Amino acid sequence: MPRLLSFAAFLATWWIASLLAGDAKLPPPPAVLAAMIAEARSGALFFNLGVTLVRVALAFTLAMSLGAAIGYLMGRVRLADRLGDPWLILLLNLPALVVIVLAYIWAGLTEAAAIAAIAINKLPTAVVTLREGARALDASLDEMATVFALAPWKKFRHVILPQLAPYIAAAARSGLSLVWKIVLVAELLGRPNGVGFEIGVAFQLFDVPLLLAYSLSFAAVVLVIETVLVQPFEARASRWRPRAA
Amino acid sequence: MRLEVEIAGKRFENAAGERHDVIAGIAFALDAGEVGVFVGPSGCGKSTMLRILAGLDHDFQGRVSRPVDARIGFVFQEPRLLPWRSVEENVRLVAPLADDAKLSALFEILELKAHRNHFPGELSLGLARRVALARAFAVEPDFLILDEPLASLDAALAARLRDEIAMLVDGRSVTTLLVTHDVDDAVRLGDRLFLLSPRPARIVAELPIRVPRGERRDAEIAAIKLDIMRRINGDSVKPDAR
Repeated sequence: MPRLLSFAAFLATWWIASLLAGDAKLPPPPAVLAAMIAEARSGALFFNLGVTLVRVALAFTLAMSLGAAIGYLMGRVRLADRLGDPWLILLLNLPALVVIVLAYIWAGLTEAAAIAAIAINKLPTAVVTLREGARALDASLDEMATVFALAPWKKFRHVILPQLAPYIAAAARSGLSLVWKIVLVAELLGRPNGVGFEIGVAFQLFDVPLLLAYSLSFAAVVLVIETVLVQPFEARASRWRPRAA
Repeated sequence: MRLEVEIAGKRFENAAGERHDVIAGIAFALDAGEVGVFVGPSGCGKSTMLRILAGLDHDFQGRVSRPVDARIGFVFQEPRLLPWRSVEENVRLVAPLADDAKLSALFEILELKAHRNHFPGELSLGLARRVALARAFAVEPDFLILDEPLASLDAALAARLRDEIAMLVDGRSVTTLLVTHDVDDAVRLGDRLFLLSPRPARIVAELPIRVPRGERRDAEIAAIKLDIMRRINGDSVKPDAR
């Protein structure tokens, strides 16, 4: 119920703002909805959403799994941390645009270049978060696992992974938003389809309803992913906490 | 399992780079079925010794000999349960081979039956300690290590748990090492008592108790306690009161 109210407040603000700013700059909700329906009828909306979503999924999976592995290693092994730290700071401060442009120059305007560029942008934040998680691992539980001779995979699954779960959830949440922002830039610059490409077209035609139709559709998809995947994962991972908020 | 220990020395280096001797000389042997009890003042290096014996710390002078494949059951000073696993899962995880009947019996003895599906965060300290005991016994250890398992429990509960430990230890042939600063626990549970000096720890006296655990009467226990107190105070060490 509070969520619905907040959504209604958003729509009302939008509508009032569009009355003040004029249709050309900010079309009212029905105009955007009409554009959305027209795009959905032609199939373009679902095709472009799907293409972008696949890119997000691939880049996100690549960056999360690689980032988690590197972050864990850096949190556990001091030498790895000292070797990896300068690289990490470099990657963290490299603008997304630079990575994307360089990837397209070096690897051509290909799908692989786009996905790699997006993954490289997300990678360092996943590393930083998981490194923090690995540093915070409880040494006393480690000793317990050693004394009771737990098999390595069992130790990982029952002792280490539950301690990393909050960090994984945090990295996933911030990662999802970061990846979906960057994927549009990559599509705008060098892909012939996807939400980013369509937004580029809408920008050239000054077609604001189309622009809003695509960005809001994708925001809705991200909202669904957050509610259906990320939040239940978090709730399950923290069900043992007495009265978690 | 026979345990032979000769620790000549153990040092720690603190953050400021200063070196501290924690153990000065501890040598003893324990046979299968024996309960060795170490009594010493707080902070004398008992827990450090246990970590060495359990194979968690290899950085010391001397040697520890025990069978490589000996199963260890360790009751740490804090329960060290996995907060994200239920009581039963905590026990089953370290003892995947334990059958249901044995686990049920163990939960029955330690009065944990009602708490099988609770998470450790929902338990009192006394209950959590009992889960830690159940976990250590569930692996059917060859070598059982108890690090102040009864500290900070009220007297009545501590006495009950002590009887439960005695019952479980007598039920199987396990080499047991108990560390405590409570002389009463030591005399009621031990076959052989080792008195430790303050840091750096060394053994100042070894006292065998020949009367079997179940047959020790209050008068005998009081006499042994008196003997221990005299020895400790003779070394100008005050026993920690609980």
